[in-house]
Amino acid sequence: MNKTIIININSIVFHIEEDAYETLRGYMIDIKRHFSQSADSGEILLDIENRIAEMFSERIQTGRKEVINKDDVSEVIAQMGRVSDFEEASEEEEKGQQSFHQQEPSGEEDHKSFPTGKKLMRDPEDTTIGGVCSGLGHYFGVQPKWMRAFFILFVLIGGSGVLLYIVLWAVMPVASTRTDRMAMRGEAPNLQNFKKSFEEEMEGIRENLSGANAHFSRGLRTVGTGFGEIFKFIGKALAACMLVVTGSVVFGLFFFCVACTLAIMGYQEEIKFPPLEILQPGQAFFALLAGTLAVALPFIALFYIFLRILFKIKPLNNYLSLGMWATWIVSIIVVIFYCVIGAQDFREDSIIKVDRTLKTQSVYSFSEKDVRVIEASSSADGKTKYDIQVDGESLHNLLRSDIEIRFESLDSLEKPFIQYHYKAKGKSYQLAAERASKINYQAEQVDNKVIFNSHFALGADDVYRDQRVNVVVYLPVGAKVEIMESLQNKIREIAYDNCYDNYTDESKTKQTEWIMTKSGLTCAIPEKLDEEENEEKDATQSE
Amino acid sequence: MIAENTQTQMRKGILEYCILSIISKGEIYASDIIGELKKAELLVVEGTLYPLLTRLKNNGLLSYSWKESTSGPPRKYYQITSEGTEVLQKLDITWKELVYAVETSLFGRK
Repeated sequence: MNKTIIININSIVFHIEEDAYETLRGYMIDIKRHFSQSADSGEILLDIENRIAEMFSERIQTGRKEVINKDDVSEVIAQMGRVSDFEEASEEEEKGQQSFHQQEPSGEEDHKSFPTGKKLMRDPEDTTIGGVCSGLGHYFGVQPKWMRAFFILFVLIGGSGVLLYIVLWAVMPVASTRTDRMAMRGEAPNLQNFKKSFEEEMEGIRENLSGANAHFSRGLRTVGTGFGEIFKFIGKALAACMLVVTGSVVFGLFFFCVACTLAIMGYQEEIKFPPLEILQPGQAFFALLAGTLAVALPFIALFYIFLRILFKIKPLNNYLSLGMWATWIVSIIVVIFYCVIGAQDFREDSIIKVDRTLKTQSVYSFSEKDVRVIEASSSADGKTKYDIQVDGESLHNLLRSDIEIRFESLDSLEKPFIQYHYKAKGKSYQLAAERASKINYQAEQVDNKVIFNSHFALGADDVYRDQRVNVVVYLPVGAKVEIMESLQNKIREIAYDNCYDNYTDESKTKQTEWIMTKSGLTCAIPEKLDEEENEEKDATQSE
Repeated sequence: MIAENTQTQMRKGILEYCILSIISKGEIYASDIIGELKKAELLVVEGTLYPLLTRLKNNGLLSYSWKESTSGPPRKYYQITSEGTEVLQKLDITWKELVYAVETSLFGRK
C-alpha cells in the first residue's frame, strides 16, 4: 500500500506515489536551478514540463495503471537527462554566461562562495530576536545559527555583541517582500527565481511538518562539505561550551536567589547582597525575585538557543516565548521600581549637632578603640584579638565606620569641646532626623586620653540610610595634641603621614605630636628636609 | 580528459546542424527529433534539446505551432523558417568544406 499525491503539471492532473514525487520534485528543482540564469528559462522549463506530462500520460492506462510510480519517474528522468548530462552539451553555448556556471554546477557551491550581488538585510522568516543573524548568514553564506553562536560569544565576552547587534538591527532593513528576500540571498529577481523562492517556502513549510530529519538533511546540504564540516564541528564544540556556561549561570543564579531569600527571611546570615539591605524585608523579597528573573531569563533563553543548536529541538511555542518576554519586561520594571523606592529613601538628609565639653588638659591624646575585637593580654594560641559575635554574626556587619574627625582652633582662653554631626537620609526630613538621632556615638575622655570608637552601631531594626558621623574637635590655641596611629584613617584635613615622616627613624612611635595654632593643627616636629640633604651630602663625601 | 573534451566539442558542433537538418525535412515534434538523432546514433537526452530549440527559435531560425495530442498536453511542432533555410545552406557549405578538410587530412593515414 502506498500513499499517493495528486500533482498538476501544466494543468494536467496526475496521481503519483509519494517517493516518486520526492524524486521528481528533486529533479525539477535541479533543472530549475540549472536553467534559472538563462534568458529563456521560462520557455525551456515549460517545454520540459510539458514533455514530462506527456511521458506520464503515455504511461497511464485507465483502469490498469493510474498511478505514476518511482520506476516511471526514473525512466522519464533517464529520457530527459540529468542536469549533469545537460552540462556537457551546453557548456559551450553558455560560455557567455560562464559566471553562472562557475557559481552553480550543483546548486551548492553558491552558498560557499563569497557574495557578489547579495544585499545585507534582516530575514523576517528566520528570527530569534530581529533576524540580524540570519541576514548576516545569508550575506556571508553561513548558516544563521553559527552567526548566532558568534554573536552570543561576543555578548559573553564583555557584552560588545549586544551593542553590535543593536547597531546592525538599526542599520539593516527588513527583507519584507519576496524581491527583497531574493536580493538578500543573492538571487536575481526574475520570474524563475520567484517560482523557486515560492517553492522553497512551501518546501520549508512541508519540511517543518515532516520533522527534524528533513531539516537536518537540508542543513547538511547547505553547509556543504570540507570547510563547512570543520566549521560546524568548531561551532558545535563552542555551542556545547556555551551551553555549559549558560547552564551554570542559571544554576548559580537559582542558588543565589534561594540563599538571599533565606537571608531576607532571617534563617541564614552568611550571604549578604548589599542592595537588598537597603530595602525593607517585604520589598527585598520582590526585588530579589525580579532582579533574579531579569538576569536569569536572558540566560535561560541563551541556554535554550544552544540546546536548539546542539540537539535540533523545536522552537518554543509562541505563548511560552511571549510569556518569557513579558515576565522579563515586568521584572525589569519591578527592579527599576524598587531602585526608585530605595533611592527615594535617600532623598532628604538631616544633620543633628551635639556639643560635648572636654576637660581641659595640657596634652590631649587622641586614640581609637577597635570595638570589633576584645583585646586579650595573652592566650594559649597566641591570638591577642578576638572577633565579637552577636547572635552568631560577626559584629562588624552591624557596624558602620563612616566617621570623620577634624580639628578646629579656639581662642586660647575658651574651653575645649567636641561637636558631633550625626547625619542620616530618609524619604522625609523627619525620617532622616529620626534616623540621625538614633546614632549613638561619642568619644570617651579618661584624663588626658580621648578615645574614639572605631565604629558606631545601627539600631537593631534600622536599615542603612547613609548614616555617618562627623566629629569636630575644638581646641584652644596652644594646646598640645598627640594622635595615635590607629586614629589616622578617621582624620581629615591634616596630613598625618607628613608629620609622621618628620620623625627620624629612631624616634618613630605609634603617635605623632601636634600643636594647635590659629590656622589649625600643625605638626610639632619640624620638617627634617635639611637633615636629609645633609645626609645626602655626607653620603657623597664619603664616597 | 582532453579526448573527451574534443569529442564533446565535435558532437556539439554538429548537433545544431543535425537538428536544423532534421527539422528542415518538415514539421516535427521534439521527441521525434530525439528519435531521428537516435537513428543517426547521435545520443542526446531530451533535456539538452529544449534549450537548443528555444535558442534557434529565438534567433528566428525556427518557428513552432501548437498541435492537439491524443495523449497528454498539446505539442509544439517545430518547422524551419526561410532564415533558417539560409543558415542551413551556409552550414551545408561549411560542412562540405569540413568534410573535405578532414578527409584530406586523414588521407593516407593508417
